[in-house]
Amino acid sequence: MRYKKVSGDDLENLRRIVGDDYVSTDEEELAANAIDAFPGEFHMPEAVVWPGDAREVARVLAYANENRIPVTIRAAGTSLSGCVPLYGGIVLNITRMNRVKEIAERDMLAVVEPGVVYERLNEQLSKYGLFFPPDPGSAVACTIGGMVANNASGMRAVKYGVTRDYVLALEMALPSGKLVRLGARVFKTSIGPDLTRLMVGSEGALGVFTEITLRLRPLPRKMVTALALFDKVTDATDAVYEIVRTGLDPAAIEFLSRKTIKAVTQFRDLNIPDADALLIIELHGRDEHVIEHMRDVERILERHGAFHIKSAEEEGERKRIWEARKGAYPSLLRISPSPLTGDIIVPISKITDMVAKSYEIAKRYGVDMGMVGHIGDGNVHHTWFADRREPGSWERASKANEEIVRYAIELGGAVSAEHGIGIEKKKFMRLQHGEAYELMLQLKRLFDPNNILNPGIMFDLEDVMAVELPP
Amino acid sequence: MQSATQLRELLGGYASEVERCIRCGFCNSVCPTSNIPHAYMGSKTSRGRLVILQSIITGSRRVELSSKLLDLIDLCFGCRRCLEVCPAGIPIPQIMWSVRSAANRMGLHHASWMLKSFIKNYDKLASLASRFPGLANTITRSRLGKALAERLLGIDRKVELPAYMPLRHKSSISSQQRLAYFGDVFGLYHEGNFVSRLFGLLEKLGYGVEVPRGQRQAGIPLLELGLLDEARAIASRNVEILSGYVERGYKILTTSPAAYLALKQDYPKLLDNADSRKVAENTVDAVQLLNELVGSGGLELDSGGRGIVYHSGCFSQATSLSGAIVELLNNAGFKIVGTTQRCCGVAGMWGLLRKHHETAKQVGSTLFNELRDAETIVSQSETCRLWMRSFLGKEILHPVEAILKYCKA
Repeated sequence: MRYKKVSGDDLENLRRIVGDDYVSTDEEELAANAIDAFPGEFHMPEAVVWPGDAREVARVLAYANENRIPVTIRAAGTSLSGCVPLYGGIVLNITRMNRVKEIAERDMLAVVEPGVVYERLNEQLSKYGLFFPPDPGSAVACTIGGMVANNASGMRAVKYGVTRDYVLALEMALPSGKLVRLGARVFKTSIGPDLTRLMVGSEGALGVFTEITLRLRPLPRKMVTALALFDKVTDATDAVYEIVRTGLDPAAIEFLSRKTIKAVTQFRDLNIPDADALLIIELHGRDEHVIEHMRDVERILERHGAFHIKSAEEEGERKRIWEARKGAYPSLLRISPSPLTGDIIVPISKITDMVAKSYEIAKRYGVDMGMVGHIGDGNVHHTWFADRREPGSWERASKANEEIVRYAIELGGAVSAEHGIGIEKKKFMRLQHGEAYELMLQLKRLFDPNNILNPGIMFDLEDVMAVELPP
Repeated sequence: MQSATQLRELLGGYASEVERCIRCGFCNSVCPTSNIPHAYMGSKTSRGRLVILQSIITGSRRVELSSKLLDLIDLCFGCRRCLEVCPAGIPIPQIMWSVRSAANRMGLHHASWMLKSFIKNYDKLASLASRFPGLANTITRSRLGKALAERLLGIDRKVELPAYMPLRHKSSISSQQRLAYFGDVFGLYHEGNFVSRLFGLLEKLGYGVEVPRGQRQAGIPLLELGLLDEARAIASRNVEILSGYVERGYKILTTSPAAYLALKQDYPKLLDNADSRKVAENTVDAVQLLNELVGSGGLELDSGGRGIVYHSGCFSQATSLSGAIVELLNNAGFKIVGTTQRCCGVAGMWGLLRKHHETAKQVGSTLFNELRDAETIVSQSETCRLWMRSFLGKEILHPVEAILKYCKA
């Protein structure tokens, strides 16, 4: 595939669309848009373009499509999987499109532009007693557009679901320059194939979101949190299974492995006894019933051998419990200079098998590893300790990670639960989807016949070029 | 063009800190200059600056340490809010100091020789001006004075410069409980009035307060300019003086969050010696001391429930003194009707400079709107008060000043 280089004329035409201030070829700006939170290489774009509204997005896409210039879409650049301009071209940066257009309190929905930062939206929504629940780890920085593109989620997914469950409608610009509206401002529809859901998680391969309509939830009034420690990780994973299936409807079940607990204790000034596993369980509700339900949770934890259980209702105490989880990744970062972070998910009945396999793989490759995870839905993030400056270290970590990914898929799970495919995991797409991968590639060709959108991200460029569209 | 190796050498240990950044962007969420309209550009954000430095250090790109890059680095004014949120614990402000220091050594000057000399010697100039405060204030407020400040130092002529009001105090060292005051420039030369009333209160409560002679400014603006050797020399001088007092059983007293930050955090890191750590351990801020006195029953304060809005400035947050201030205001019976953590934009001297003035105003605009209707506003930082006063046209008090003004003690 040969793309056209961005020329002086192209820059002139792009400036006519978005305005002089919103096209840059400064080396510094190119560098700032050449990499994200994935620990990869710099891939420099030739220009950065910041559209101000949907029409400008559409016009930029139409121009790039006509001229065969690759376009990589960027928002906050917090992807852990890599969404970078592998083939140069334009970075279409949507951070200027950051308006909350409407909060419809009585319809319990919000209409936003894609560049709105997740936590800023929830700050505004809290005034109405509402929230958009998915809560990714990057909440303070990531944008709604990026969340929709990756079907992001976080610690609350076990109760509230993921981004896809909240996207009611989308406006998006297609490579042709057409603006289309998908879905409706209602909680359910029966109106043919659901293109809105198809777009969620499409990682910018099919179009660019220009407006997103989100369903909202009322903020919980009562929250109670518990922390439990186990001598045996399998006791903890068995307890998780029972809590989930007894209908206690936890809002979070988080897990820390031994190595992670040690790191948190060391770097976060927390006094946690030595343990093989740590669980944090949170329940949300309207009233005091959640406290009774937490007693049931505690009984389950005890029955499965938890040697320490502490629960809290008061906000300060709850925060202290959460400190163990929130401090987990930062603490692991202190140990590993360039960590490789996984994002697998397995059916909840297989969590115990997956954890055991993880330890076996880590031992076999001689790679240290800490696990944290949203274990209530079977999602575990392995942090494989690597140091890119040390020869072989990154390769060993990658191989270990690859093996646990293959095992997760074998168990009926998936390579990624919430971080997306990006450039990092595209090699697993065929393994993950089998025959359906061809259908996805055809879909890509249908929406983006010239393959200008996010080339090399999620789909390997060669795979896309090789696929035949049905006659 | 300098090589990656060259910059790596110039940055020393900070080069590997740059590499450790995971580019999560959390710093952007709190960085004052990364949350104004120009920050749609990644290069004008905190994360962007680190990414650009990574691109140079790893030799990935054609970017080099140039005056253009230094202009971007200049957008970090050292508020230190990023230190609270960075998951990897990267010392971001310190990295920016070291980049500026590297630039100085490479002969790339992002600040004029005149401005650097002024900042290096500001305490000496202020000491001199304070001997003739009437004359000094007339000059700094005159059109000619402002035009000269703009021409020679780059200080925007629209800004209100702080008036000279030197601290006049006779030491009373007979007491058992001894305090040595480390004032920085505002406490010693610009806000001597309320500091001396504070000393009066403390003396009534049985403290002896001394103002050590020969002490220099705290020196944080020097760090911000990358004048690390000069800042280290000043730190060393201050520590030498103050450690002598600590040895004689004195506690070191501060009223300025910058002075407290320098003694507690910056000097021990800059000097890495036992004396600086000893001084840090024995430093107490006035708000903490007054809280202790209230707690032990030695002091009763009553403001009659006066409503107050508390502005928690960057350094009050960086030093964790904000909690002590809220506690003190509650102890004094103030009704805290609002608190805000927003940055006012001035950042010491940064916002006073013509080249940053408009950006600084943009940073502060949300805060100014928030405070427009507030009646009594309290903020610990001296330059925040000066800056907010000039935009809001109302009195902004140091928490201790509010107590001295409104409380029956």
